[in-house]
Amino acid sequence: MIRGFFSFELREQLRSPLLWLLSCLFGLMAFGASSSDAVQIGGAIGNVYRNAPTVIVQFMSIFTLLGMLIIGVFVSNALLRDFELGTADLIFSNPINKRDFLIGRFAAALFASMVVYAVIAVFIFIAQFMPWIDPQRLGAVSLKPFVWAFAVYVIPNVLFTGALLALFAVTTRSVLWVYIGILGFLVLFGISGSIIAKLDNVWLAALLDPFGLRAFSRTIRYWSADERNNGLPAIAGYILANRALWIGISFIIIGAAFKLFKTERAGTGKAWFSRKAKAQDAVANVIAPAKNTSTAEKISPVSNKRTGLVQFIQQVRFDTIGVFKSIPFLVMLAFGMVNFIPSAIMAQSMFETPIYPVTSQMLETLNGSYSWLLIIIALFYAGELIWKERSAKLGEVTDAMPVANWLPLAAKFTALVCVVLCFQALGGVTSALIQLSKGYMHIEPMVYVKTLAINSIAFILMGGLALVLQVFTNNKFVGYGLLLLVLGAQIALGLMDFTHNLYTFGSAPNASYSDMNGYGHFLTAQFWFQAYWAVFLLILMLLASAFWVRGVSPTGRERLLLAKQRLSGKTGMALAASACVFIGMGSFIFYNTNVLNDYMTPDQQLDVQARYETELKKYKDLPQPRIQAIDMAVDLRPEQQRATFKGTYRIKNMHAQALNEIHIQMNDDKTLTSIDFGKAKLTFHNEDLGYRIYTLATPMAPGEVRDMRFTVEVGEQGFPNGGNQSALVENGSFFNSQLMPSFGFNDNFQLQDRNERRKRKLGEPMRMAKLEDQAARANTYITDDSDWLDFKTSICTAPDQIALAPGYLQKQYSKNGRNCFDYAMDRPMQNFYAYLSAKWSIKKGMYKNIPIEIYYDPKHPYNTDRMIESVQKSLAYYEANFSPYQHKQVRIIEFPGYQRFAQAFANTIPYSEDIGFIADLRDPDNIDYVFYVTAHEVAHQWWAHQVIGANVQGATVLSESLSQYSALMVMEKEYGKDKMRKFLKYELDRYLSDRGGELVEEQPLYRVENQQYIHYRKGSMVFYRLREEMGEAALNKALSKFIADKAFQNPPYTTSKELLQYIRAEAKPEQQNLITDLFEKISFYDNRMVEATAKKRSDGKYAVSLKIHADKLYSDGQGKESPGKLDDWIELGVFAGDDNKDQKTLYLKRHHITQKDQTIQLIVDQLPTEAGFDPNNKLIDRVSTDNRKKISLNN
Amino acid sequence: MLSIKSLSKTYSNGVRALDNVNLDIPNGMFGLLGPNGAGKSSLMRTIATLQEADSGSITFNGIDVLQDKDAVRKQLGYLPQDFGVYPKVSAEDLLNHFAVLKGFSQNGQRKDVVEDLLKQVNLWDARKRKLGSFSGGMRQRFGIAQALIGNPKLVIVDEPTAGLDPEERNRFLNLLAEIGENVVVILSTHIVEDVTDLCPNMAIINKGQVLLTGKPHDAIAALNERVWSAEVSKAQLFDYQAKFNVLSTRLVGGKPVIHVFSEEQPEAGFHQINPDLEDVYFQRLRAHQTNASAA
Repeated sequence: MIRGFFSFELREQLRSPLLWLLSCLFGLMAFGASSSDAVQIGGAIGNVYRNAPTVIVQFMSIFTLLGMLIIGVFVSNALLRDFELGTADLIFSNPINKRDFLIGRFAAALFASMVVYAVIAVFIFIAQFMPWIDPQRLGAVSLKPFVWAFAVYVIPNVLFTGALLALFAVTTRSVLWVYIGILGFLVLFGISGSIIAKLDNVWLAALLDPFGLRAFSRTIRYWSADERNNGLPAIAGYILANRALWIGISFIIIGAAFKLFKTERAGTGKAWFSRKAKAQDAVANVIAPAKNTSTAEKISPVSNKRTGLVQFIQQVRFDTIGVFKSIPFLVMLAFGMVNFIPSAIMAQSMFETPIYPVTSQMLETLNGSYSWLLIIIALFYAGELIWKERSAKLGEVTDAMPVANWLPLAAKFTALVCVVLCFQALGGVTSALIQLSKGYMHIEPMVYVKTLAINSIAFILMGGLALVLQVFTNNKFVGYGLLLLVLGAQIALGLMDFTHNLYTFGSAPNASYSDMNGYGHFLTAQFWFQAYWAVFLLILMLLASAFWVRGVSPTGRERLLLAKQRLSGKTGMALAASACVFIGMGSFIFYNTNVLNDYMTPDQQLDVQARYETELKKYKDLPQPRIQAIDMAVDLRPEQQRATFKGTYRIKNMHAQALNEIHIQMNDDKTLTSIDFGKAKLTFHNEDLGYRIYTLATPMAPGEVRDMRFTVEVGEQGFPNGGNQSALVENGSFFNSQLMPSFGFNDNFQLQDRNERRKRKLGEPMRMAKLEDQAARANTYITDDSDWLDFKTSICTAPDQIALAPGYLQKQYSKNGRNCFDYAMDRPMQNFYAYLSAKWSIKKGMYKNIPIEIYYDPKHPYNTDRMIESVQKSLAYYEANFSPYQHKQVRIIEFPGYQRFAQAFANTIPYSEDIGFIADLRDPDNIDYVFYVTAHEVAHQWWAHQVIGANVQGATVLSESLSQYSALMVMEKEYGKDKMRKFLKYELDRYLSDRGGELVEEQPLYRVENQQYIHYRKGSMVFYRLREEMGEAALNKALSKFIADKAFQNPPYTTSKELLQYIRAEAKPEQQNLITDLFEKISFYDNRMVEATAKKRSDGKYAVSLKIHADKLYSDGQGKESPGKLDDWIELGVFAGDDNKDQKTLYLKRHHITQKDQTIQLIVDQLPTEAGFDPNNKLIDRVSTDNRKKISLNN
Repeated sequence: MLSIKSLSKTYSNGVRALDNVNLDIPNGMFGLLGPNGAGKSSLMRTIATLQEADSGSITFNGIDVLQDKDAVRKQLGYLPQDFGVYPKVSAEDLLNHFAVLKGFSQNGQRKDVVEDLLKQVNLWDARKRKLGSFSGGMRQRFGIAQALIGNPKLVIVDEPTAGLDPEERNRFLNLLAEIGENVVVILSTHIVEDVTDLCPNMAIINKGQVLLTGKPHDAIAALNERVWSAEVSKAQLFDYQAKFNVLSTRLVGGKPVIHVFSEEQPEAGFHQINPDLEDVYFQRLRAHQTNASAA
């Protein structure tokens, strides 16, 4: 019997085109992702082989999540088909066994699902043989990963999803609810991810995921590229526990589904609706009284001009309310809320420290977690609304009513707009309530209205398109199919490098919002494109109204004839008019994006970069003059987002030979409107590459000094297709020296991406010069145009704004109604300067005689005191331990959140509004990253602005790692060691997880090639440990000596190697190996507390026995590991009390560890509860959670 | 007065739904009889402005129905055969919605109309209930209520009594008869008694053609003395069908009783009966079928 059901069902499923369609669709996705970077599944592959076992398993397992929709179709088909078709009575009136029926059908559905995964696997397998794949990105061909993926992921996950969906299907008996169930499940899956993605919940996070994706990613989280390329995790730990748990749960669910499955007619289960039945009979039995009178006095409708309008409003209202009351809408709304509310309440930006619920951040959260559901709502209800009357079998009734032909479509579109807007409004109100509940009173209703309305446009456009496609196709499923085709085609176009918004329906550059600058000038481009697409939609709507079907569906030919007839009148005129407007707007947009601006596709941009290298690399290291002094007059017009720079460089030939040519490099060649260095001839000019060569009439003699005058005019002409510049804005302009001319070939303009380089036959990416490269020490890693220079500038801005630049204010005055400022720096500084202009409030403080000024947006006053305090404490620590502060002032300046960083210029620290200014630091348990970031940036005044590294490997150790160390010290003084442990845990986690994404080669710290996870994250760990071992005094002594010798030096610049010499000089002989391990090697520990027991002694003390395991490994740049020799001092700790805050340390000492396994005996005074080996995670250990263990007490 | 001239319609699959239909329909109830697929619904939809015709014309009180659709719709009440509702909307709300679409743009007036109609079809007490909870009869009464909004001059009801119990059916037909005095009411049905009881005028159509048009009584009279009935055994049934023009076979008390159309007594045992409209209907259909197969 089972076999009969199984084979019947399987035949049905295998015959369904949907199965093969979806298999091929998913297969192609998998194929694309495995064979190119154009398609990504679950993030980019990075530097790992395309066919690495972990990649294959990851793809297959992610498809088990996406595959829910497919399995949903199969399972609901298998179990509900008979109820939907009404054949249930036929089947179940036969003497069949319910269990056989279910097992047979269910097994067939699962089997059919497996077919899909087999197809996907075949596509992935084939992908690795594609000729266009770089052979260097492929590993050995193997079937093992596929077998592994099926056994560990695909089969259990299909079983689970099938079981869950079967449960939905048998309990609801509705395909719709199965889908809503899937949707709900996916949303809950996403939410649970964000909730449990905290560091401490690793086990919980790994277990709670029914698909085991998190268990897998957790397990390979810290794997290096080499490990990812060659191995698969053992089926143990997270993976084993997760798989066992969910297979078990799957069987329980299947059991429940079998139990709940009823063969009776649908509807018998809905007992809760039955109360209505009685009332119905009561009414039906009343005999109609004669009503002759009413017939006589019947009123006929009066039609007038208002009638159409009233009808329109009624139809809109009726349809809108209908949507509000429908289940899918309510389900979406509930999902949106469930998704949005927790993320809004828990909003944070760094280190899990909450942020103030400022409106702009709330809206960003709302948009990401809630509003996106509108795309589903708009597309789904477009079909529902168009077919509303007809699917209720009311079409003929309403079609025979005296309403105008245009009315239904217009009303339905308007209803769709209302639905979108109401959904947004509900989100907005909820968001405002959350703000109030958090005690935040500064709610900005107009910002809500504006942002929600602007964000709705895209959904409305898509919904409108869906609507007209439904009308044109006059078939719900074909309409949806065509819509998917259009969406797919748009994505495909983008992948094929066709990225212009003019031919991608509904697309427009996204205007970003900042609290400081609002929408600024960004809306112009967005609105033009959206208006353009709105007119296009209007054209489609007019056409759709001509093709609108009223009554019985006519044949295609009849529809054409009818449409022609309908278009002959006013509609046709409107159509022609909108077509003209559309073309006109398109031309205007084209003029802006392609004539006033250069439109380049991403590939074309990369090609230009490639040309830069092939054509100009020959000029690398060409001797060029060096800038000695800069004098710049800036005329900034924030109102127009434009600026004119009139600059003078005093340049000097520092070389032994005369210079005949001056090579000028511009970011954007058009902006350089004049340049003058005496008599010279432009002998080479490549506008695309921004490169010019001037041949001097009289060569610059060695040692000669000249003035070079130039004018740079920056500002957007019209608007571009995408990527509006965000440097010059109405309020909060922030731009830097990169806009100015520089000399010669710029290494940083080269194409970095290894794969893009291979495609263009450019060879390996340019790497930083080796640490040993003496020639490269002629320049700092910031610029090759200058050493220390004199800087003077004036800047005029809008009358209501303040403008800032490095240096000290000499004069403030008004000129031509502009607010002008003269700044001058009193000592040489780096060729690294920025300008800022905005309407700020100013908070002032002092450290000794050094004024501290915070320029902040009046809306963000929260943390200015914290910043001032951090500056004060930082200056105090750095002056006491390193050297005096070289400037007479510290300024922190808020700029709009278009970028999220803080940056240190001489005496000037621009600081993004999104980090720090809105952090909510009221809970002292949270990490005060405002304090930390400020301390880090102030530290740069020493580490980068006093000592700066040569342009060789390890340069950023001298700026970033030392700033991290400095900030850690200031923070530790302020917040204590416990906080440091929490902070360093983040640093360790980010170092370990980011190194797996390394694209080139992991370097040991002293050879870091500007790799952030090394110089920041590992830098913190290394210097903190070094401080623990050497002591703060000794380390700071080394640093202060280093700074004394190297500050403000001229070439050759210093290196990390020299820093290490200073450190080694202060370290004890037994610490030398440690320094090697920390700086010159990539080393890891595998330390754990194996067993911890205690026994009470007769004298009341406790004898503790600790079995510990230690191991040290060295890794190469690709993650290949080799054993290291243990010779380390590692902390051993015994603690009493809870593992929470009030834990008491009974014993904490560093032990010299030389062997892997040993047992150490200790005696403590008090009842011990916990013991730890490296208990505070000061060492780089990939499993940091097994360092502590509860002590078991033996009697 | 509705006048249909040479109306023809062929579907894209080749089916001739209307084949040169000519009908003059005066005020009052007009019955349209015909088997399933005869073209009744096509004809009614065409009159109700929901379908285009290939050729021919329809005029209603001087309005060209095929051209000036909007003018017709203002005077039209239409209850289609397969009529559904929004299950989650109340009777009052949906009727109100329809009233707006019918052109009642003033709130007060519309309220009166809706109230009046709900009372007239006896759904006033159920007005707040969701339509999904209505029985078939209630739903059908709701259907006629919407068709009667705005005092239509032309009412078209397509198979309205299918699926109603006898009591509901009576009540429904009474309602129709009531309004049918001053306006054109076209009632399509395959239940012959409905027409006999209610309609002063009627037409029989089959395969898109009008087989007969006139008053039911005249049509019945034309068959006087030519319809014979006999009780036969099941075994003989086939023989009789081959031998005579058998109009209908019906089981009475478990035994087949046949009606035969014949100028004289077909054979012993047949007795003459008074024909009814059903006999007319079948006689016309048989005649039409014979013609069609002969052609």
